[in-house]
Amino acid sequence: MLCEFELYTPATIQEACQLKKQGAKIVAGGTDVYVSMHGGTKYDALADIKNIPELSGESFDEKDGLDLGCLTTHRKIETWDVIRKYYPAMFDGCSHVGAVQTRCRGTLGGNICNAVPSADSIGPMLVHDAVCVTEGPEGEKRIPLCYFFTGPKHTVLADDEILKRILVPVPAPNASSAYIKYTRRNAMDLALLGVSAYLELDGCTIKTVRIALTTSAPTPIRARKAEEYLTGKEACTEVFTEAGDITASEGSPRTSWRASKEFRLALLKELTLRVLEQAAARIGGNEQ
Amino acid sequence: MKNREIHITVNGRQYIKTVPVNMTLLTFLRDVLYLKGVKEGCNEGECGACTVIYDGHPMNSCLILAAESDGKEVLTVEGLADGDQLHPLQQAFLDAGAVQCGYCTPGMLLSAKALLDLYPHPTREQIKKEMEGNICRCTGYERIADAVLLAAERMTEQHPHQ
Repeated sequence: MLCEFELYTPATIQEACQLKKQGAKIVAGGTDVYVSMHGGTKYDALADIKNIPELSGESFDEKDGLDLGCLTTHRKIETWDVIRKYYPAMFDGCSHVGAVQTRCRGTLGGNICNAVPSADSIGPMLVHDAVCVTEGPEGEKRIPLCYFFTGPKHTVLADDEILKRILVPVPAPNASSAYIKYTRRNAMDLALLGVSAYLELDGCTIKTVRIALTTSAPTPIRARKAEEYLTGKEACTEVFTEAGDITASEGSPRTSWRASKEFRLALLKELTLRVLEQAAARIGGNEQ
Repeated sequence: MKNREIHITVNGRQYIKTVPVNMTLLTFLRDVLYLKGVKEGCNEGECGACTVIYDGHPMNSCLILAAESDGKEVLTVEGLADGDQLHPLQQAFLDAGAVQCGYCTPGMLLSAKALLDLYPHPTREQIKKEMEGNICRCTGYERIADAVLLAAERMTEQHPHQ
């Protein structure tokens, strides 16, 4: 049995915000919260937000892009044809979260609010310029995902605010994306390191590029210097290799029992090169 | 409120039960409904031994509260066979030698059923990917994949138009 707690099932966002302010732990899929409770973490109260209608549902249109309820599961993203076509990095990320059982249960909102540096769905959403829609007593706010994290397991959400929806714009016509996750085994493993890239080309020239790093800093981050270097350059292996060196200077990976800092820095260089090549190949439809 | 009343359908049968809110679905299935085919392995969502089909999707019952399962439909290994007639997956696991100690088998069977519901003609690669959340320490997995392919083949023969 888990520790004893009160279980609340708010029916509205306002109710959930109030419960959160009173100290209840917000729970959606439970793939992080219940795991930590099995490990001994104690909460006095849980607020299960799965019955709040405004937090569910997904839609896509070619003008506004994706509108995802925070309860959207990784499995929905993995099995939705729209994602493979327009947001391939999100497919790469969400199809590598845990295993099928975890992906059927775990939510994008949970992955964002849990705010760990190794979250597989976040890098891909960062490079696709996702925006978080939050709600609290002060009303609705729109916060770009790149400004959402303040530290490991910490976000900008106030004590009485919750994440409501995630908006992801439509990519440019001549653009694509990719995420590469390095793990020791294929399933049920956290990213030792991951790199995501979004690339828009004008002929062979890089028009827009966004790079995001996973397990490379206290929070998921964008590699802005590498992005700046790449913009306007020719999309080729030499340039991508140089971008890898710059990316490595932007990440601050640490040594843990999983891998050393030095190995992670080497991975940053190599994965940046590979993920840019993969995104470029996808634009041309030449993916191997 | 430390207890909740839930209305839940398990293996086609409806139950109304009052459960403590801190009871997992795994404990509920094993200790309240006595469905001991649902196995506890790691109890933290890593091993897949407690997999059930929950509203059509494979999930780890150790990471679900019984109290949040009001109105849900659950399938455990006890609900797979049709009377004395084993499910084609169960028969194929026997025929292919996909069972050794058997502890992971109920979870494997349910993940395999969810897989065949989604992909009636899976490739070996699809089987590996879709069943990646079920760990087996005995078989080396090859015979489990053989069994799923065998079951898919037999199910297609039984229902050639599906």
